[in-house]
Amino acid sequence: MHQDAASPTTEGGQRERTDIPPRVLLDWRAARIFAEKNLMISLRYPANIIVWGVVPILWLAPYVLMMTALSGSAGTIRFQELSGFDDFVKFAIVGWFVYQYVDNAIWSIGNNFRWEQFSGTLEPLFVAPVSRVSILLGAAISDTVFTTLSAVVLLGTSCVLFGVSYSFVMVAPVILTLLLMLFALFGFGFMVAGLILVFKDPSVLTQLVDTVAFTVTPVNYPVQALPPYARFLAYLVPATIAMEVIRHLLIDAYIEMSVFLTSIMFLLLLLVGFWVVGLAAFRYAERWTKERGSMGGF
Amino acid sequence: MASSKVFTRVIERRGLRSEISAAWAISVRIWKVELSYPLSLLWFILMPFLWLIPMVLAGSSVSTGPDSAELARLTGIDDWVSYIAIGTGLMGLTLSIIWGTGMSLRREQNVGTLETLMTTPIERSTLVLGSALHNLQHGGLGVILQLAASTILFGVTLNAWGVFPALAVLALGVIALQGVVYAIACVVMVAKQGWMIVEFIGDFLILLAPTAYPLAVLPWFLQAASLASPLTWTVEAFRDALILGPGAPSLLTAALVLLILDAIYVPLGLLLYKRTETWVRKRGALSQF
Repeated sequence: MHQDAASPTTEGGQRERTDIPPRVLLDWRAARIFAEKNLMISLRYPANIIVWGVVPILWLAPYVLMMTALSGSAGTIRFQELSGFDDFVKFAIVGWFVYQYVDNAIWSIGNNFRWEQFSGTLEPLFVAPVSRVSILLGAAISDTVFTTLSAVVLLGTSCVLFGVSYSFVMVAPVILTLLLMLFALFGFGFMVAGLILVFKDPSVLTQLVDTVAFTVTPVNYPVQALPPYARFLAYLVPATIAMEVIRHLLIDAYIEMSVFLTSIMFLLLLLVGFWVVGLAAFRYAERWTKERGSMGGF
Repeated sequence: MASSKVFTRVIERRGLRSEISAAWAISVRIWKVELSYPLSLLWFILMPFLWLIPMVLAGSSVSTGPDSAELARLTGIDDWVSYIAIGTGLMGLTLSIIWGTGMSLRREQNVGTLETLMTTPIERSTLVLGSALHNLQHGGLGVILQLAASTILFGVTLNAWGVFPALAVLALGVIALQGVVYAIACVVMVAKQGWMIVEFIGDFLILLAPTAYPLAVLPWFLQAASLASPLTWTVEAFRDALILGPGAPSLLTAALVLLILDAIYVPLGLLLYKRTETWVRKRGALSQF
């Protein structure tokens, strides 16, 4: 490690580092290194990719089976009227594919500092001269790579098991929509990370946030099936708009340009909103926790 | 001298009553830990509704009213909201038993109390039984909350005469499930990070059980597998008793099958648990992470 010759010497004879750059809001190098570190750990357990690609099918299947038992086929007039799609199996698989990223924002990004705390590395990490946002962003990037692998396994396995297929002619708009949703969800994940710093025990809080998000987002049913006041809440979750757009692109292979552009604008607004609120909430939670000296506490 | 007498009494304690008393103490201790987290309490109250609501919303997106002709054709019950609300009511109880009890040893290991508990003069299986007792109370209260909420919010009507037979079938089902849970505890003891297996077994048992749909909509091989699951028979008979009353035709068959499953799963689970525990202790791997 490089040491400045002019660095002052401490009582123990060790030189103090004076070349440490000041913290900036976002240090891409630190985020990249943190993402690489997390990915190296994740890829040590490759079975997890398969497990998280297959287990959600066990959560999706009961909905598909229940809707089949009630309607007798893969679609009803009522479902078509509400959603605009005639096949609820195709509809639900896209929903679960996109929802993997919401789960990721809540469980992985939000809980990242908790895992560091369990590993005993949270406090050393927090004295490192990099901004917390860089660390969180690094974690978000690595978790997203891992989730993408699992989500692709989920989509492929579901298509085979349920005998459905999608159109992949409009891949670019799908990727653009997913990316905007992802960045908006990063902000959401920062907010959850702040909550977990304060409340510590993540299992219950995370479950609660996840279940509410799952209920309002159109994973298995269209937003129109919700009561009117809940629809407003649904559109605050970036995945709602993304699911609606991606469904049109993958099932119909068509979306009206005006609808697409409006959706992109809305996602951009959510992105900015979630980052502002998420960062503010995280910084407040960090300060609150540090003032009480409970950063490393369980 | 007095403390020595107490110590001797503790060491010499034997018999079913002592084990039940120890299991009860474990159950009360878990309640105390859970209730010390206010968010856990909130989750416990909200959980039954939050699991039911997406199911009801999904049902309402394909069905125009409270009745389903297709469901009536498959099961003889046309009120789909009651069918789903009562069936999924047992989902929370099952997951509570499988997760809470199956992972009980791991939880003790994580907080560093497993070896201490293992040196207390109680049967090793009582550690799991105590946790099961707690999860039965926890999950049972959840079932009551969900059924009460379904009655108030969704107008589900329950046949009061069917409550006793429903509880009897539930008791038989929980006993058989205990055998499964002992087997899960073995997996956790050996694999340590056994949550993945617990997740898979729990989700798979729920997929096989007719909680929100009849078995007829499952592929044939899953229908065949579901017959070996105690949850399948419990859910079917529990719901029939609460909707159709004590004269429900499935009750007697379910009770007989559950008695057979109890006689197979419980001794098998206990045997497996004792063998695994001895094996793990011999390897000195009890408190390893």
